[in-house]
Amino acid sequence: MSALAAIRGIGVVGGFGTGVEALRDALAGNPGPAVPIPGAGGVDSGCRRADTAALEAFVDRRSLRRMDTISRLAILGACLALRDAGVDRPDGRMGVVLSTGYGPSGTTLAFLDSFIDSGDSCSSPTLFSSSVHNAPAANLSTLLGVTGPNLSLSQFEVSASSALLTATLWLAEGRVDRVLVGGVDEYCDVLGYCWKRSFGEPDSPRCLPLDTRRQTARPGEGCAFLLLERPSAGRGGDAIIEAVRMGRIGGAPAGIPADRLLVLGADGHRRCAGAYVKLVPAGCAVTSLGQIWGSFPTATAFDAAAAAVLLRSGCTPASPPESDRPHSWRVPPAGEPLPSAGIGLLRVSAGGEYALTLLSKA
Amino acid sequence: MTPPTPAAVTGIGCICAAGRDLPAAMSSMAAARRSPHPPVRFSTGHPKRYPVFGVPDDFVPADLLERTDLLLTTRFALAATRQSLVDAGWEPAALQRLRVGVCLGTTVGCALNIEDFYREYRGGGCPDLETIERFLRSNPAAAVSRELGLDGPVQTVVNACSSGTDAIGIAASWLRAGVCDVALAGGADELCRIIYNGFISLMITDDQPCRPFDRNRRGLNLGEGAAVLVLESPAAAAARGARVRARVLGYGSACDAHHLTAPHPEGRGLRQAFAEALACAGVAPREVAFINAHGTGTPDNDRVEGRVLNQLFPETPFLSTKGYTGHTLGAAGAIEAAFTVACLEAGRIPASAGFAEADPDIHGTPSAIGRDIEGGVALSDSLAFGGNNAVLILGRADR
Repeated sequence: MSALAAIRGIGVVGGFGTGVEALRDALAGNPGPAVPIPGAGGVDSGCRRADTAALEAFVDRRSLRRMDTISRLAILGACLALRDAGVDRPDGRMGVVLSTGYGPSGTTLAFLDSFIDSGDSCSSPTLFSSSVHNAPAANLSTLLGVTGPNLSLSQFEVSASSALLTATLWLAEGRVDRVLVGGVDEYCDVLGYCWKRSFGEPDSPRCLPLDTRRQTARPGEGCAFLLLERPSAGRGGDAIIEAVRMGRIGGAPAGIPADRLLVLGADGHRRCAGAYVKLVPAGCAVTSLGQIWGSFPTATAFDAAAAAVLLRSGCTPASPPESDRPHSWRVPPAGEPLPSAGIGLLRVSAGGEYALTLLSKA
Repeated sequence: MTPPTPAAVTGIGCICAAGRDLPAAMSSMAAARRSPHPPVRFSTGHPKRYPVFGVPDDFVPADLLERTDLLLTTRFALAATRQSLVDAGWEPAALQRLRVGVCLGTTVGCALNIEDFYREYRGGGCPDLETIERFLRSNPAAAVSRELGLDGPVQTVVNACSSGTDAIGIAASWLRAGVCDVALAGGADELCRIIYNGFISLMITDDQPCRPFDRNRRGLNLGEGAAVLVLESPAAAAARGARVRARVLGYGSACDAHHLTAPHPEGRGLRQAFAEALACAGVAPREVAFINAHGTGTPDNDRVEGRVLNQLFPETPFLSTKGYTGHTLGAAGAIEAAFTVACLEAGRIPASAGFAEADPDIHGTPSAIGRDIEGGVALSDSLAFGGNNAVLILGRADR
C-alpha cells in the first residue's frame, strides 16, 4: 500500500493532559489527574476539562485576551504539533485543515445571550465573528502566520477523518508542503443538557467503550493536531497514513483489514457500538481509546495522534475496561507488539457513515 | 504542482432569490430584475428593516417544503441536487451503484441556530430535543448523501463565505485522486435571525438594496439558496455520453492570516489564491473572459477585491451577482460558479446590479450593463470571514 503522508508532529490537549508525554502516559493506562467540568447546577458533567494554560508558553498573553475556549484549544494543539515536529516558522506552503463537530458552541450561545438580554440591536459583533465555525482555524492562522490554504470542516463523527482525507490530497497534489490537520470540540452546559436528555445517567460508573449492550459514554473535549508532510520528507520511524476511506455502512464492502490493530471509535454509545459489531469481523484485534478522551465528534483526531505514538513505540496500548465480553473480538493487552501491517482507525457516525484510516510505520 | 486533469461539469442545479432554477435566475438577471425585501420568516427588533433576498416558498418543491424534519438549508441543497442530477442525466438509483462523493459548503447549516430552544433552556425550562435532532439530521453533505442513498466520501465545508467555492475545488480533487466516480459539489444556506443580527451588529449591512463596487455602497444584503454541480472525470463523462457543460480548470485558496472579519489591506491571501488557481489551470490572466467577483457591497471587501482585480486583470470585465441574490454565505461560491458556467455558455454577462457610480478608491469598475464576452475561461472568487480566499477557474466545455 502506498503512503499518502508522514506524521511529523503531534499536538494534543484533552481531559487526560497536554502534550505527547501525557498522551503516552494515558495510552499506558496512566492519564493525568482529571479536572471535572461542573455541569448546570454544579453537578459533575462527566466531562474532564482540557486545560489551555500551557498556551501562554507559546503565545503572548495579550493576544489571547479575547480568544474563546475553542480557539485556545486549537491554537495550543497546533503549537504543540509544530514544536513536536521542530517547525518554528510556518509559511505559505503550510496549510490548515481543522474539523469540528459543533464549532464554537460556547461563543454561539454567548452571542445569543447578547441579544436575548439586551435586544436585537445590542447583538455583540465580537461574539458573532468568533461564533463562526472557521474562527478557530482563522485565529490559529493569524496568530501563527500560516498563510497557506485554510479549511474548516464539520460533519460530526466523521469530521476528523474527512479532514485527514483532504490534508493528504493537498500534499499529494503539491498544494502545500506541510499541513496542520486536526479536530477540536468543546463542552458547554447546553451540550450537557442535551446529553442528559438523550442518554440519561450512564449505565456504569466508568466508560466501557466495547460494551455493545450498555450506554456508558461520558462527554469529552479537546484538540488534537498532526503535522503532516509528504512521505518522502518523513524521517525513519515516523508513522505514515496509507489510506483514508469513507462510505456508507451497508454500501460497498468497507475493506476492514484483519491484519491490523483496529482502533474503534467506540466511546460508550450503545447505538454506535452496534454498528462496529456489524462492520468488524469476529476475531479481529481491536481496542478503543474513547475511555481516555471522552465522547465528542472529532475524537478520531485523538485516535490518529495515538496511533502515531503507538507506531513509534511499536506496542499496543492499555486495553479498555470491560465488564464482560458481549463481542467476539480479540482485545490485546498492553505492551503486545503491534501487527507489522500497522493500525486501522474506524469511526462510524449516527447517520450511517463510516471512515477508515490506515496507518503504519515508515 | 501536479498538472491536474480538469473535472467535467455535467449538471447544475440552483435555487436562489433570482430564480427557482438556473435558467430562471439567468433570465431575471439578464432583465436586471431584483427583489430585495424585509425578512418574512422571522421578525426583528431593529429600528431599520434591512432588506434580504429570500427564496419564495413556491420555488421549493412541495415535498421538500413539507420536510420540516430537516433545516431549510438542507432542503435547498436537496432541491439543487435534484435539479443537477436531472440536468446531468443521472437517475438517482444509478448513482447508488457508484462511489459518489458529496462536498457542500454552508454556514447556517452547521451553526447552532437554536434560539427558541435556548430561550427556553435559559428560562429554566426543559426544552424538547426536536430542534437539536433536526440540526443533527441536517448536516448538508451528510443529509444529501443519506437521502440519495449514496456511498462515498462526504464533506461539509464551513469556511464561512468561501465554503461553496472551496467545496467545488475539493470535490474536483477527489475525482483526480480516484476517491469517487462522481461528485456532487456546491453550497447551501438559509436566512436566519441569528446571522441577520450578527451581520447588522458588524455594521456591514445596507438598509438599501446592496451596491457592490459602487462609490456609495454601505454594506451587504443577506440572501439564501443553494447550488450543486455534478462533477465527473472527463473520461467517465465521455464514456456515458454525457453533455459536458464546463470544466473546473483550477482552484486556489489562501489565508490572509490578518484579521477575523477584515480582508488584508493589500489582498495578500486573495493574490495568493489567484496565483495558485492560474498556475493550476495553466491559464494566463489575459485569457480570462470575465470574473464573477465576490463583491458583497461592503466598503472593505469591495475596495480590496476591486484593487486586486484591477491590478491582476486590468483588461478583464468583472461583475458581482450579489445584487440579484444577496450574500448567500456558504452557498455564494457555488451559486456564483453556476452563474459563471451559464455566462460562459451564453457568451454574455449581466449588469453588475446596484453599481452606478465609480469609486475612485478602487481604480476599477464592474460592468454596469450586460455585455457580450469573448473567450472560454472565467473566474469566480470568494473572500470570507477568517481571511479565507478561494478562486475557481472554469472553462467552457470546448476549452
